[in-house]
Amino acid sequence: MDSGDQNPRLTQLLQQVRVLDPVSETEQIADVLIENNQIREIAPHISDYPPHTQIKETQGLIFAPGLVDLYSHSGEPGFEDRETLVSLGKAALAGGFTRVGILPDTEPPLDTPSDLQWFKTVASPETPQFYLWGCLTLGGKGDSMTELGELAQAGIIGFSDGVPLADLGLLRRVLEYVQPLEKPVALSVHDRALGRHGVMREGKLSLRTGLPGEPACAETSALAAILEVAACTETPVHIMRVSTARSVALIADAKARGVPVTASTTWMHLLLNTTAMTTYNPNLNIHPPLGDRADQRALIEGVKSGVIDAIAVDHTPYTYEEKTVAFAEAPPGVIGLELALPLLWQTFVETGEWTALELWNALSASPQRCLQQPPLRCAIGEPTEAILFDPKTAWTVSQNHLKSLSANTPWFGKQLTGQVVATFLNDR
Amino acid sequence: MTTETTTAWTKPHILSLETFAAPEYETLLETADSFREVLSRRTKKVPALQGQVVANLFFEPSTRTRSSFELAAKRLSADTLNFSGSSSSLAKGETIFDTAKTYMAMGANIMVIRHRQAGVPHTIAAEMDRLQTDVRILNAGDGQHEHPSQALLDLFTLYQWLSSSSPHQFLAGKKVALVGDILHSRVARSNLYSLTAMGATVHLAAPPTLLPKAFQGLLPESYQDQLICHWEIEPALAEADFIMTLRLQKERMSDHLLPSLREYHQRFGITRDRARLAKDHVKILHPGPVNRGVEISSDLMDDPECSLISQQVASGVAVRMALLYLIGTSS
Repeated sequence: MDSGDQNPRLTQLLQQVRVLDPVSETEQIADVLIENNQIREIAPHISDYPPHTQIKETQGLIFAPGLVDLYSHSGEPGFEDRETLVSLGKAALAGGFTRVGILPDTEPPLDTPSDLQWFKTVASPETPQFYLWGCLTLGGKGDSMTELGELAQAGIIGFSDGVPLADLGLLRRVLEYVQPLEKPVALSVHDRALGRHGVMREGKLSLRTGLPGEPACAETSALAAILEVAACTETPVHIMRVSTARSVALIADAKARGVPVTASTTWMHLLLNTTAMTTYNPNLNIHPPLGDRADQRALIEGVKSGVIDAIAVDHTPYTYEEKTVAFAEAPPGVIGLELALPLLWQTFVETGEWTALELWNALSASPQRCLQQPPLRCAIGEPTEAILFDPKTAWTVSQNHLKSLSANTPWFGKQLTGQVVATFLNDR
Repeated sequence: MTTETTTAWTKPHILSLETFAAPEYETLLETADSFREVLSRRTKKVPALQGQVVANLFFEPSTRTRSSFELAAKRLSADTLNFSGSSSSLAKGETIFDTAKTYMAMGANIMVIRHRQAGVPHTIAAEMDRLQTDVRILNAGDGQHEHPSQALLDLFTLYQWLSSSSPHQFLAGKKVALVGDILHSRVARSNLYSLTAMGATVHLAAPPTLLPKAFQGLLPESYQDQLICHWEIEPALAEADFIMTLRLQKERMSDHLLPSLREYHQRFGITRDRARLAKDHVKILHPGPVNRGVEISSDLMDDPECSLISQQVASGVAVRMALLYLIGTSS
């Protein structure tokens, strides 16, 4: 990767690049002058630049803010054969993500302030910014609150167990207690009793494949309950991994009523539906399971309309041994940090389903807002935390190419089009 | 021995009956018929697969199906290898592919695979194809998905019983009642495809928890008129030519799917009284093993006038010989 961050003092001129700034909702072909890690100028043609400027031919490339992933999983600490923070960081940057939310379901789980200290030692100027989620409940077990105030002070980005919190009484108290802490709370919505042993969305196809089905109401009933609790506590909540059409409708309705809710789906739920599962590829075992065509359609439209605020990657590495088992016995989850942007771009922007700005909003500006952080920008005077994306370069998903230590993805061995060719990391 | 087949066999693997076409059923029935004749000879063995290795990879333990496949392979003069889940090295960290590759290295030409989870034969077949091996995979039951050889031996049993002159649409005009735990049954799914393909109308009967509405849409549109679902047993049995019952697993009670075995037997058990709703000559089939007094009353099961259960077991070897022969000798 040709990266602009290797010499932050370098002055660079990007010529005739396609600049996206989702905040101002502008898109233009222009020259961009970057100096001291700051965007000095954006103009149709820049001819007045310092003599030592490195000139880059960037026609056909996209210059846009770094992507922000709301939540993904680190293997480290606890499962370093799946992923280390270093490999996760490299994978994120290779895929265009300059900020990555890390869920606290590590071993040990991130549920005390002292666990945070360790993470901070790993961060370096070469890694993306890790946003650490702190557990809502001890060990993420859903039984009792963590020391939420202490965690908030220690520098977590927000609270999430990453897994459903079944006890609504506890959820209510947690949402009340965290209100003055002003940190986002991200909730996974799933009713375990309804979901039972399901590994696939229940319906005609689950009957045909013989895979145990999980009804859509396992998600929607839990969501409805959480929205009611959020409405009465008035604490902002973020709904993770929305996967059903009915959930999109419930969230739209809650937003219309003024309930403080934001929501995300995952790139997998946008790209695929249950029909993919007739291959029994364990790398299609994700949770919540892929929806049917109508769910997928509703999610795609939800992202466009803004009912679904953001697209999360939910990068979940597992080793070859862990995933090379029967579909229903495979642990759910897939990697995605290096794959999401090229696939989403090809599927939705190249086809005209979404504009480039709509995609970038869902992958960068909007996730920042969900986290109560200022969105990244590509505008004059802004620090450069941005990427150069070549939407035309083809590459093959292989162990050699992937920076992630795991390769659990249904796209393994396939050719993708679109690659991040440079990353500009702001001096932090 | 040579078998006259009406259609050249093109399927390298037999994973599911969902993709079977009518001519394939016909070829299979005719081939099984010729092997049934072999099995009636004094020397019940032919050299069709001599030198070939058939590996029975039973990740889920089974004695009956494995024995039937083993005997079928031996009758075709193949060498057999048996792997069973209980003696497996899966617990030691091997993947399902490692096991298959071990048997591939021993020279297995055909792998007969059973697994408690759906899709395992498919993923092993895909891996064998990816590695460009010539290994053939035969699904011997995968989770709640399919059990092709069981459904084909049921079909062959009906074919024999009816003494049809040709397998072509030999079940046209026949009503088959399929009663029991449809939701969890791989046998039911495979039977649905095969029975309707040969012209039968299939009436499913079970309480709603074991027969979700979505089953009505399981078959392709052109076959949908041949599938009727009932949440009561009586309309399914009325004027039926054949009744197939399915094994009810005891764990269905803990999954909140049924109140009790007693109530199930009262509402959906096949009893002599209920069998009278069907046609006079009605025959009863069961894939075994039977829970006597639950899905079928004991005396009915043992009544040779009604039960085709022992014929099913006998058909099993001929049908499995046909399956092994067809995939083992196709190019």
